[in-house]
Parts: sequence; C-alpha cells; structure tokens
Amino acid sequence: MAQKDKQNQDKGHSSHEMYAAREKIHPREVKGIFQNLRILSVIALLGIYYGLPWLQWGERQAVLFDLPARQFHVFGLTFWPQDFVFLALLLIIAALSLFFFTALAGRLWCGYACPQTVWTELFMWIERWTEGPRQKRIKLDRSPWSREKILRRGSKHLLWILLGLWTGLTFVGYFTPISELTTRAAAFDLGPWETFWSLFYGFATWGNAGFLREQVCIYMCPYARFQSAMFDRNTLIISYDEERGEPRGGRPRGIDPKEKGMGDCIDCNLCVQACPTGIDIRQGLQYECIACAACIDACNQVMDKMEYPRGLIRYTTENALEGNPSRVLRPRVLIYGLLLLILIAGAITGISLRSEVNMEVLADRNVMYREVDFHTVENVYSLRILNKSMEARSFRLEVSGLDDVEVLTRPEVIQLGPGGTDNINARVRVPRDQVSGPGNPIEFTLVAEDDPSVQSRSRARFHGPSPE
Amino acid sequence: MATNEPKKDPRLLRLLGSTLWPSFLVAGMASGVFFASIDPEALRLETLPGVEISRMAGYTIGFFMFWLVGLASSLLTVLLLGSVGSRGR
Ligand code: SF4
Ligand code: SF4
Repeated sequence: MAQKDKQNQDKGHSSHEMYAAREKIHPREVKGIFQNLRILSVIALLGIYYGLPWLQWGERQAVLFDLPARQFHVFGLTFWPQDFVFLALLLIIAALSLFFFTALAGRLWCGYACPQTVWTELFMWIERWTEGPRQKRIKLDRSPWSREKILRRGSKHLLWILLGLWTGLTFVGYFTPISELTTRAAAFDLGPWETFWSLFYGFATWGNAGFLREQVCIYMCPYARFQSAMFDRNTLIISYDEERGEPRGGRPRGIDPKEKGMGDCIDCNLCVQACPTGIDIRQGLQYECIACAACIDACNQVMDKMEYPRGLIRYTTENALEGNPSRVLRPRVLIYGLLLLILIAGAITGISLRSEVNMEVLADRNVMYREVDFHTVENVYSLRILNKSMEARSFRLEVSGLDDVEVLTRPEVIQLGPGGTDNINARVRVPRDQVSGPGNPIEFTLVAEDDPSVQSRSRARFHGPSPE
Repeated sequence: MATNEPKKDPRLLRLLGSTLWPSFLVAGMASGVFFASIDPEALRLETLPGVEISRMAGYTIGFFMFWLVGLASSLLTVLLLGSVGSRGR
C-alpha cells in the first residue's frame, strides 16, 4: 500500500514537469550576507513592479504605456512613436549594461535581478511558509494525501494562483489606468484584451516561478547560453577552492585537518542542498549555476561552526584561484563602460533637447510644380504636425532657402490641442526668376507662437521649371 | 502501470518548449519595433478601410502573426535538425 502510494506520488509528481524526468528541487533555506542582499533586491524589485503603476503624476498615472493613444508616459515625460529612437537607445543601453556587468561580475543579473529569479524566490517564500522547510517539504511530497497535506498543498496553490492573478493584473495596469482596472476587475468587467493579457501574464508567472523554476534557466533562457562569451579569467565567479577543500571528508569537530591530511571541505553537502539549480559547485563552474551565492552562505555557516576561515566557496576570479593577480579594469570592461557612458549621455541630452513639436513633410507627388501666374511658381506640400506638449498651442509655418519665398497655410495659424495632430497643406511660392530646375533645397520651420524656442525644422525640395 | 504513461511524453513538451518559447520572445520584440513605427490604425486605413478594428485588436493580431511566423520557423528548424519525431534519436 505504502509502495503504491509512493508510485502514485511519483507519477503525480512528474505530471507537471515540463521536461524529462527531473527530481523536484527543494532548496534548503540558508542565511547569510548574500541571501540578505538577494532578499533586499527581491523586495526592492517586486516593490517597484507592484507599486509603480499606483503612483500618480498630477492628473494621471505616473508610468503608463497608453497603447490605444500611442503615448508613453514616464513621470513628467511623454514619448510618442516619433521618439522611437529613444526606445531603441534604451534597449541598446540595457543590453550593453548586461554585457558590462557580466564581464565584470558574471551572472550578477541571474542571481539578483532576473524576473525569473525574483518571482521564483517569492513563490518559494510562499512554499516555505505553507509547507515548511526543506525536510518537511520532501516528507510532504512522499507522504500520502492526508488532511494536512491537502491543507498545506491547497493553501500553497491558492496563494500562488492569487499571486499570479494579481501579477497579471498589475502587468496590464501598466497599459490601462490601474485604479480603474482593478475596480472593473473586481466587478468582473474587464475587456477582452485586458482579460487575455492579465491571464496570460499571470499564467506565465505562475508556471515559471511555481513549477518550471531552474528549468527556465537551463532550457529556455537565451542569456544563460551566451553569457559565457562575455566571461574571461578576470570575471567574478562563484567558485569552490579546490586547493583548500580537497581531500574532503567527514571528521569530528576540533581536530586539525592538516594533521590528518584532509582539506577543509567536511563533505556535509549543504552547498548542494542549498542550490536552487541542484548542482554541486565543487565540480567546478557549470552553466546551470545562476550565481545566487546560496552555496557561499551555506558553506560559510559550516566554516563558522567548524571554526575554519570563511570563503571555501566564494566570489573569486579564475586568475585569483590560480594565484595570479586579477585585473578589474581591462580593455573589455573599459570599452563596454565607455560605450555605455556615451550612450547614456546621448540619451539624456537627446531627451532633454527633445522638441515639443514634430513635423513631417511630404511633397505632393502628383504635380511637381504649378505656375500660379507668369511670375510665380508654386509647390504644394502636405505636413503632418504633432503637438507633443501637454498644453494647447498655436504654430506658424515659415520657410527659407530661396529668395523671396513665401508660404501659405490655411488656416494661417495652426492650432493644436495637447497631444493633437493635424494634416496641413502648405503652398510655397517663389518668383519664377529665383528658381531653376528641380530639387532646390528649402527648409520649413514650424514655430510656436507663445515660445519661439519650441520649433521643428524639416528639409524639403522645391521644384521649378527647367530653364529653356 | 506507473512506468508507461505516453501522454506525458517529455519530448512533446520539450518540442513545445523549444518552439513556442523562442518564437514568443522574438514576436514580443518584433511587435514592439514594428508597432513603434507603424500605427495599426494607419495600416487598417490603407488596407481594410471598411472593417472596424481597434488599435488594441491591431496590436494583438500583429503579435500573434509574428508569433505564428516565428513558431513555423522554429518548427521547421526542429524538423530539419531531426531531434524530434519518430525517427529522431
Ligand atoms: S539563466 Fe536566464 S532565466 Fe535564469 S536567472 Fe539567469 S537570466 Fe534569468
Ligand atoms: S552553485 Fe551556488 S551559486 Fe550556483 S546556483 Fe548553486 S547555490 Fe547558487
């Protein structure tokens, strides 16, 4: 009977494993500096994620990616599709910072900041809280279904599902004003897109952080595959000091390992039990290792107990392990860092110099030019104007580049509400003796009436009749 | 009885993991870049002015189109690599 239960248990167990049979990993909880740092970073990052949409900025949500209106609000700034270059710049900066930090400190991202790690940690806290510490969880896995097991398992899954739903809703809250969204969600009155995306994101969080966990890192994450390309012998890694630890072996407390010809590793396996990806760091650097430093803290606890010096497992570099000096400032790091600085400076200046008005000029493709009368040639352009500021403004169009050129728009003063766009026809007239042939460069300038510094320039070509 | 349960074939799940997931990532990026420069509303006016499609619907359709295209390509890759399927080893 007990045998059968175990079999059933094993079966039920593997049913939610995405990949080949895998032992469920129950990492042991450890305490130490690095785990405290990780807890801090998890709380900070999740605090930002869940809290940010609730911040108000004046009349509106501080961070809101308003897709239907095609405007991104980030605190005091509003970005338009015309500002796409900043989004691209932001992505490049993000990628480059990843390179920079990876070259410098290895998989810092994985251990402390990756959403996968952060949410897994949160889900594990719930697991620990409902099902108890490692030993108890393993026992619970093996035990037959009882009232207690149902209660513990049930409350874990309930909390997980609620958390997943809330996470999904928060995600949609970045795209739809969240206070209104939650009110409508409470009344089961969400639109189809909102329902779909919140369930989708919630489901992904629940599945990835609750069940897949380290398998995401091992099988699904592209970063885990290419990060090693940014490593060199001076990159900070987490490593076991083989020289010092071997030969490993159990021993009573208080003896001098040197006398017995032993190393400092007492082979207690705590570092293995603590590892969320289930590897043994003593076998060397493995690509499954997400550099969470749990094994460092676990091992340091043991070293303290044994009254050995700490750091049998520690942050170090390949060079340091071999007794060579490590260099922090090396060409790779300097180049990444320099590029990063330039890009960040560029993005900041670009954003602060961003014009509050945008204009695109299209020449009328049907007619090259028109002779208004015997003395004057006319070209027609179609202008698309966008007022990016949050106040209504009036603009006037000017043109330069040819002598005696003039421009007519109707209306003469173009009025645009906050965030408004308009298509305007502009007729540019030039005396016939001032132009010859096609392709004369001219420049349009759109100037705000209340503030001449708010303007947008655009080049265009003016076509005239070829001289006979 | 506990040993043979063909329904939970890990290969199938693995196949999904190595096709659905990368195409999802790429579709996310592609729709970001695409819709940052192209307004689905403008696209609709150019192509199907008679049909009412909201912007949100436009984004979603676009995202799933990218996803499907990526998925098709990933599936072909898996097929050509021959790592999955009855003859694969
Ligand atoms: S391996 Fe990938 S998914 Fe896992 S923690 Fe690192 S970046 Fe995140
Ligand atoms: S080996 Fe250590 S640092 Fe690496 S994942 Fe395991 S516990 Fe974390």
